[in-house]
Amino acid sequence: MLTIDEFIRNIDYLPPFPRNLVALTELLEETEVDVDQVVSLIQYDPALTALVMRLCNSAYFGAASRASDLREATTRLGFNEIYQLVASLSTAALLRPSQKGYGIEAGELWRHSVAAGLIGKCIALERDDNPSVVFTACLLHDIGKVVLSRGLESKYNEVVAETKGLEGTMQAVEKKLLGFDHAEVGGRLLERWQFAPRLSEAVRWHHDPAEAGEHARLAAYACLANMIACFMGFGCGHAALALRGRTEALELTGTISEDIPRYMTKAFYALSDLQALLNIQF
Amino acid sequence: MVGIGELAVSNNPSAVLTTYSLGSCIGVAIYDPGARVGGLLHAMLPDSTMDPARAQANPGMFVDTGLGALLRSAMQLRADKRRLRIFLAGGARIMDDQNLFNIGGRNQGAFAGWLQREDLRATAEHAGGRVNRTIDLAIGTGRVTVKMSGLLKEVVMC
Repeated sequence: MLTIDEFIRNIDYLPPFPRNLVALTELLEETEVDVDQVVSLIQYDPALTALVMRLCNSAYFGAASRASDLREATTRLGFNEIYQLVASLSTAALLRPSQKGYGIEAGELWRHSVAAGLIGKCIALERDDNPSVVFTACLLHDIGKVVLSRGLESKYNEVVAETKGLEGTMQAVEKKLLGFDHAEVGGRLLERWQFAPRLSEAVRWHHDPAEAGEHARLAAYACLANMIACFMGFGCGHAALALRGRTEALELTGTISEDIPRYMTKAFYALSDLQALLNIQF
Repeated sequence: MVGIGELAVSNNPSAVLTTYSLGSCIGVAIYDPGARVGGLLHAMLPDSTMDPARAQANPGMFVDTGLGALLRSAMQLRADKRRLRIFLAGGARIMDDQNLFNIGGRNQGAFAGWLQREDLRATAEHAGGRVNRTIDLAIGTGRVTVKMSGLLKEVVMC
């Protein structure tokens, strides 16, 4: 039996190391972020710079006068807004390709991930949790699927057969066919990429948040956001809703199931705004 | 293309109305073969009373207000309520022993309640389960097709 590290080492495809994203998430660990640190991460990317300027001067933020440079735009928008925008875009290269082992078409996994990020953020803002930390955990929760998809590709008929009927989660199918599931692999991948432990642990336990120890609350956010994204139709691939509802996710985040419809409408409008801003159609 | 919380009606015989990736949302297609008028709704939540202001601005967001608006719009194009064929797709759900997360089932229930109030019957349903569905309505023929993500499986409802 391979260990998870041997398994990851043996796999013929590993997603490219997301350097910008790691640098960006490091800012989450600081108590006070200096605007120049944010500017320095963005300024070498012309497309990102243009986007931040457009965001700042958009009607959405109701700017009275136009910001003249990146530093001013960054100051006006504030860290959280910029962070979430840049983080979303930084995951596009990783998450946009199709994942054939899951029946996921190009764009679907990214759409699911950004939707989950925004859902988590909407809940976090109401619960007084750090919206950018929650956004990140939710955005990255399915990163392990990018690794496992290749392994499942040649077994897709088995994936379909195993998910028939009403029993069995996609996680259990992965475990049966490959020995590991996407939550374990995703958590380990983030650890290897040196993301903060709370992020790798939240991803590792996003289907079993109560197991995540001191990071249970963040894992519960990823769990809840994933479920809600699936309800809204932002799930992806074959048997998109083959997952187990976790009531612990409600308890750990201090929410109740009656709140879910409200989070769905909030996140829906947040997603519409983001789509308009990025000029994309989810 | 009918987005989340939207509805559309048409009497253009070359039009095909489509709504993607329903999840627990429901897609409802209606069609009057006599007038060759059809409509499609993609509603996210069962009950507009949670947010009447949003329901007013965006009736298609909720099953109750969305179905009413869909019916009215189709009748404005001279659809006859008595001739309507009605199709339901979507309402998928996760595994949920305590029934805390069953938005799909509640959407389906709201649809059934509306049918009863309007004294209408569904022609066909393809709902529940764990799959994301896409629904198409061809206005020229009234053909309704449901596709399931990841399987490329297609079911012709009519």
